[in-house]
Amino acid sequence: MTISTTLEPEPQQVASADALDAARETGARTRAHTAFGLLERYGLLLFVAAVALFFSLLPATSSLFPSGRNVDALLGNQTVVTIAALAAILPLIPNHFDVSVGSVLGLSCIGTAAAMSTYHTGLVVAIVVGVSIGALVGAINGALVAYAKLNSVVVAINTGISGKLTNFGSLKWLGIPRPAWLLLAVCLVAWYLLDQTPLGRRLYMIGENPHASHLIGVRVRRLTFLSFVLAGALAGVAGVVLCARTGGANPNDGPDYLFPALVAAFLGTTAIRPGRFNVWGTLLAVFFVAVTVNGLSLSGAQPWVQPVFNGVALIIAVALAALLARRRRTASP
Amino acid sequence: MTSGVAIRDVTKTFGATHALRGVDVDLAPGEVHALLGGNGSGKSTLIKILAGVQSPDAGQLGVGGAWRSWTGWDSEHARAAGMRFVHQDPGLFPSLSVAENLAADGALGRRALSPIRWRALRRRSARLLRSFELDVDPRAPLAALRPAQREMVAIARALHDVEESGDAALLVLDEPTALLPRHEVELLLSAIRRVAAQGHMVLYVTHRLDEVFAVTDRVTVLCNGSVAATRPTAELDEDTLVELITRRRVDREPRTTRSRRDGQPALAVRGLCSARLHDVEFDLHAGEVLGLAGMGGSGRTELLRVLCGDRRRRAGTIELHGEPVAFRSPLEAIRRGVVYLPEDRRDSTFPDMSVDDNLAAVALDAYWLRGRLRARRQRRDSRELAERFSIVAASVGQPLRSLSGGNQQKVVLARWLRTQARVLLLDEPSHGVDVGARADIHGLVREATDAGAAAIVVASDLQELARVSDRVLVLRDGSIVDELRPPRLDPTTLDDSLYRTKERVSA
Repeated sequence: MTISTTLEPEPQQVASADALDAARETGARTRAHTAFGLLERYGLLLFVAAVALFFSLLPATSSLFPSGRNVDALLGNQTVVTIAALAAILPLIPNHFDVSVGSVLGLSCIGTAAAMSTYHTGLVVAIVVGVSIGALVGAINGALVAYAKLNSVVVAINTGISGKLTNFGSLKWLGIPRPAWLLLAVCLVAWYLLDQTPLGRRLYMIGENPHASHLIGVRVRRLTFLSFVLAGALAGVAGVVLCARTGGANPNDGPDYLFPALVAAFLGTTAIRPGRFNVWGTLLAVFFVAVTVNGLSLSGAQPWVQPVFNGVALIIAVALAALLARRRRTASP
Repeated sequence: MTSGVAIRDVTKTFGATHALRGVDVDLAPGEVHALLGGNGSGKSTLIKILAGVQSPDAGQLGVGGAWRSWTGWDSEHARAAGMRFVHQDPGLFPSLSVAENLAADGALGRRALSPIRWRALRRRSARLLRSFELDVDPRAPLAALRPAQREMVAIARALHDVEESGDAALLVLDEPTALLPRHEVELLLSAIRRVAAQGHMVLYVTHRLDEVFAVTDRVTVLCNGSVAATRPTAELDEDTLVELITRRRVDREPRTTRSRRDGQPALAVRGLCSARLHDVEFDLHAGEVLGLAGMGGSGRTELLRVLCGDRRRRAGTIELHGEPVAFRSPLEAIRRGVVYLPEDRRDSTFPDMSVDDNLAAVALDAYWLRGRLRARRQRRDSRELAERFSIVAASVGQPLRSLSGGNQQKVVLARWLRTQARVLLLDEPSHGVDVGARADIHGLVREATDAGAAAIVVASDLQELARVSDRVLVLRDGSIVDELRPPRLDPTTLDDSLYRTKERVSA
């Protein structure tokens, strides 16, 4: 037996009118939320602009902050930390914490420097070596997490080799520092991978519900593994850039980038695509921290301001993300 | 007013939405009162107001012969007034033991530092668990229990509390049986009768109409936040009740079996064994809906999970359209058109993703064209799907979480049906959804099988199972013990078969 429903004319009209009412009410609510949604999405961007404007007008910094040299430094100095942050969000999307980003970065930097100074390889080979080291460590991490089901892994390597690498950091292209171009290119690639390919979509699905993903045919372990390999390779790229910027390798430099990278990753979830780790949000978060710290130090703040500000930004990011998430939950019936 | 509970003229608005408009519900001591209505009719809001979780805009509350103010009414007041609640999401603590969960309502001792008497607590818990035939160790962590068992722990805790209280207490059960298999439902219903006989009141929210007729004295139907009717249960029949809830006339037609029994079966299972299955054999034909009945733990879900490649089999063969298959993962099964819809919606949905992304989750490769995911095409298709599968959503861009349970279920079903799957493995496809959505879901399954797919449906609601299935297999302890076909296929015979086979096995 089946129940088939015969619609009497009158109740149907009532029913559809109700459905329309309900739809209209929800529609009105969505529209009412749009203003808030826009603010939520671009709030961080406005904030960055406001901070930049503030330091441009503040008497103590108004001459130095907006100067060409300072802007160049601001643009050029964010490449390593942004790429490291993008490396961090790749495993974070499928819900894994990779704390090896900083160490891998340092290791790749050393690898590139060693390839050039000790083994006298060409530039391209040295870069390939640096990136491959990152991908390899990422593969080991990924295998341990995805297949052996371990928690996050810390890789700490201490080797002290220093070397020389042509400093591409000081050159400009179309008036913009080269590292900034690289930064944009890496962001575009990461955005493409995460937003425009089934791979990215599936990583987000795994992050939200790994079991459901498995049951609808997503290769959870393989993709989780892949996210670690890609993260390692990106950390490797960051390491090569670090090597290029500093003209040498110091193994202690790498881990210094871990915390700012994670701050950017988490603060990034409050912007552009709120509630998700996302590329442009991460980029904005990096510049938010950079512009603020730069302005503060130009106005004469002590060096310890930077780590403290990073810590405060992380707390704000986590609190804001939780608050927005709660608001979203209560907003829907 | 009498000594019961009186809810009068309660109104609640959320922004522009009227959740409740002037709702009256009265309960007399010893009464079991059903609260019915479709999803979004206001049942949950009313219960949350009663529990002190939300406060109404207007209205009165009478408890034990005195009028109380809603202002400042909170969960402490509700407790003090003898009200106990089992919500849809039972307030349990997964990492604590079963015994600790049972005691969480206050039996641990009032003072923070007074020592807990573990032995006594464990003994008491064991007794309580036995009375509900729950075969679990009180020391086991709650997380180790099956969802149905967890639900029973929550119910046992509330029932026990009510029975302990001397005055006429009110027990509110919000869809307690959505996850429970038949036998556990029977236990619950007899416990409800017991507390009612002691003079307590029960407000019972359910989507299963057979339970309404089995246990309640009166029925209140809510519709769009207003009371559509309050009537003695004895004056109603099922069709009238469905009409009151859905405001649609029910027209029953006898099901015509259109399955093609001749020729090669879509699925042929022989000698299938797994961790919990023993020598399972059956054929499933294209166009057929095969029902699976059994108690919780009988292997119903296990069978579906083995067939879809999620669980390993130990022995036996599975042939798909005459070809032997050995799926090692759901992905391999999906590629051959064998798809599985889990019992628990938490295993099938991405609640924070949009309806659109949820629908497209299994069709991503189709939108991956010339190096990009075609979002616009995906959205257009999703809109069409939402219309075709009568999914009610303001926009397919809104998060899945914001849809009612019935519509979420239609989304996950539509996700599979769009793939033209050949074998549908559906575990409780319509549990916890309202009567209207349930009819829609049955219709969709029927439509798919009429178009040539084959389906296996697991359902604890035997009436539902008898209605949707062409044939029902009865599972017990991992083996098939009975097969029912028309004219033997009706809820009563099914019920008999389930219990008879139980006796036969235990004898």
